[in-house]
Amino acid sequence: MASKSVKTLGIFQKPTLFNKGIGALLPEAYKKFYKEWRFTEPTAVHYVPEPGRWKRDEVTGQVLPVQNVPIPLMYPKEHNNQMWGGEGIIQGFYQEGYQRRVPRFWLPILKRTVVYSEVLNKYMSVIVTNRTIDLINSNYGFDHYLLKTPACDLKSLLPLKLKRKVLQELQEGCPTYADQPEKQKEILKRYQSYLAAYTPEEIKWYGYSYTEACKMLRKQMSEQVKVVPLKQVYRSQLIEKLKAEKIEAASASSELEESGSWLRKINPFGKKHET
Amino acid sequence: MNKMFKYLSFALNTATNARIALLTPETIFHNQLRTTFVVKRRLPLRLNKQGRPPKNISGRHYIYDVVEQKHSQKDPEIDLILTTYVDGLGNVGDKISVTRTKAYNNLLLPGLAVYASPENLEKYKDYVYEGEPHSSPTAALTVKSLGRTSVSVVMNMETPWTLKPWHVKASFRKCGYIVPEEAITLPDKPITGPDMNKQNKEFFVTVTINNLETVNVRCRIHHWSNELVNRVPYTPYFWEQPSEAILPEQAPILETLPIKPKKRKQQ
Repeated sequence: MASKSVKTLGIFQKPTLFNKGIGALLPEAYKKFYKEWRFTEPTAVHYVPEPGRWKRDEVTGQVLPVQNVPIPLMYPKEHNNQMWGGEGIIQGFYQEGYQRRVPRFWLPILKRTVVYSEVLNKYMSVIVTNRTIDLINSNYGFDHYLLKTPACDLKSLLPLKLKRKVLQELQEGCPTYADQPEKQKEILKRYQSYLAAYTPEEIKWYGYSYTEACKMLRKQMSEQVKVVPLKQVYRSQLIEKLKAEKIEAASASSELEESGSWLRKINPFGKKHET
Repeated sequence: MNKMFKYLSFALNTATNARIALLTPETIFHNQLRTTFVVKRRLPLRLNKQGRPPKNISGRHYIYDVVEQKHSQKDPEIDLILTTYVDGLGNVGDKISVTRTKAYNNLLLPGLAVYASPENLEKYKDYVYEGEPHSSPTAALTVKSLGRTSVSVVMNMETPWTLKPWHVKASFRKCGYIVPEEAITLPDKPITGPDMNKQNKEFFVTVTINNLETVNVRCRIHHWSNELVNRVPYTPYFWEQPSEAILPEQAPILETLPIKPKKRKQQ
């Protein structure tokens, strides 16, 4: 611990998601995705950003820096099952003239429609905003939209999950079009360029929430560790110890083990009795 | 039938020319920000210092003015390339421009069209259509519309007449269809009158559209007199009343022709 305090010059560092508990064990591939998802500035949707770095005050002529602070947005839990295309809920006040300001929510207009993924060859019924449809149109298709848009703009878990599935499908060479080799080749050619940005490890860890990633990691770790009951360990140790001392009972016991447990002999249902 | 589209196409051409000449809007932000509330803080935020944590956003910085409500704007149009023949729009490989909602729901999702991306433009550049020929995109719609009309051919009650294409042409004009005489083919047997046995009885004429598509149109004879006393009273919704064929050989075809659907409420 001494080395850590030396590194940080004795200043207390707040534990973050990736340096405490199981989060510290998450692979670099997931951290890269998380950075793209949470720590990247998304496209300005609900405000018009001011261009340039500096501006001059028209009256005084004073030079001031331009600081574009995004409008704070809210996302309900349900938005993870939908595709809002970068939109969010704005919570604020509305004030007319000198009247008292009144609280106001500006909500995105949602509608249910169908999106078609060419790579997965699937029609999906989803809840979207008009902006999502616009983005799909301007990117010439749902797959292009998913693959071109960074995670910070896709935002919710549903499109991120679909993006991972599309990437995995491309990685495997589009098995859905196995019976149409020409179309398969055409689709692979169209979308192959997107795969260059990711390694297989990154695709595997793409589009999970922090809790989902931790759950996945825990599962992976529990699969790796093979639990052997201590009973078996101690028994084999004892047998080996006895063998080392050349005691006859040891070999007999190993035979007994092969033939089965002594309980089976007593158990009336273990063997079919001839009557 | 060509005349029918003449003035319409002229009007459309002038409109598109004017649009190209006068309106060249810049749509850089337009595509990015649409269907959303774009807001602006009424009071500007205090400036943050370099290398310092950002200052708190207080209550008064949450007072917003709505700059734009993009969803209340007109549905914009997008460019598509048709992959099949679509009634009223065009043939395979045609580049069309339709509203966003119609394009997505009616053309892109069913797979009737693809986006006019550079890749697709290249693919459909030299496409040669091999299939049933169509004279114009709207010809099929005209066939459908004419096929379910019932034209009342109004003839004189006193003066003897034999039915001629110009009679039918005038009757078509009364129904709102401008049909040239040479496009109308009458039945082989001449229909003569005045004959009150033929009153309110049916026959059909064949209309040829752009010298290609043909459609059979149901017609009914109605006798007209200048004398008020002699006039046959008008039957409202006469096309819904069953009727007989004037020429018995036309009867089987007349039975197959569709009837104009009822629009008014059933009582």
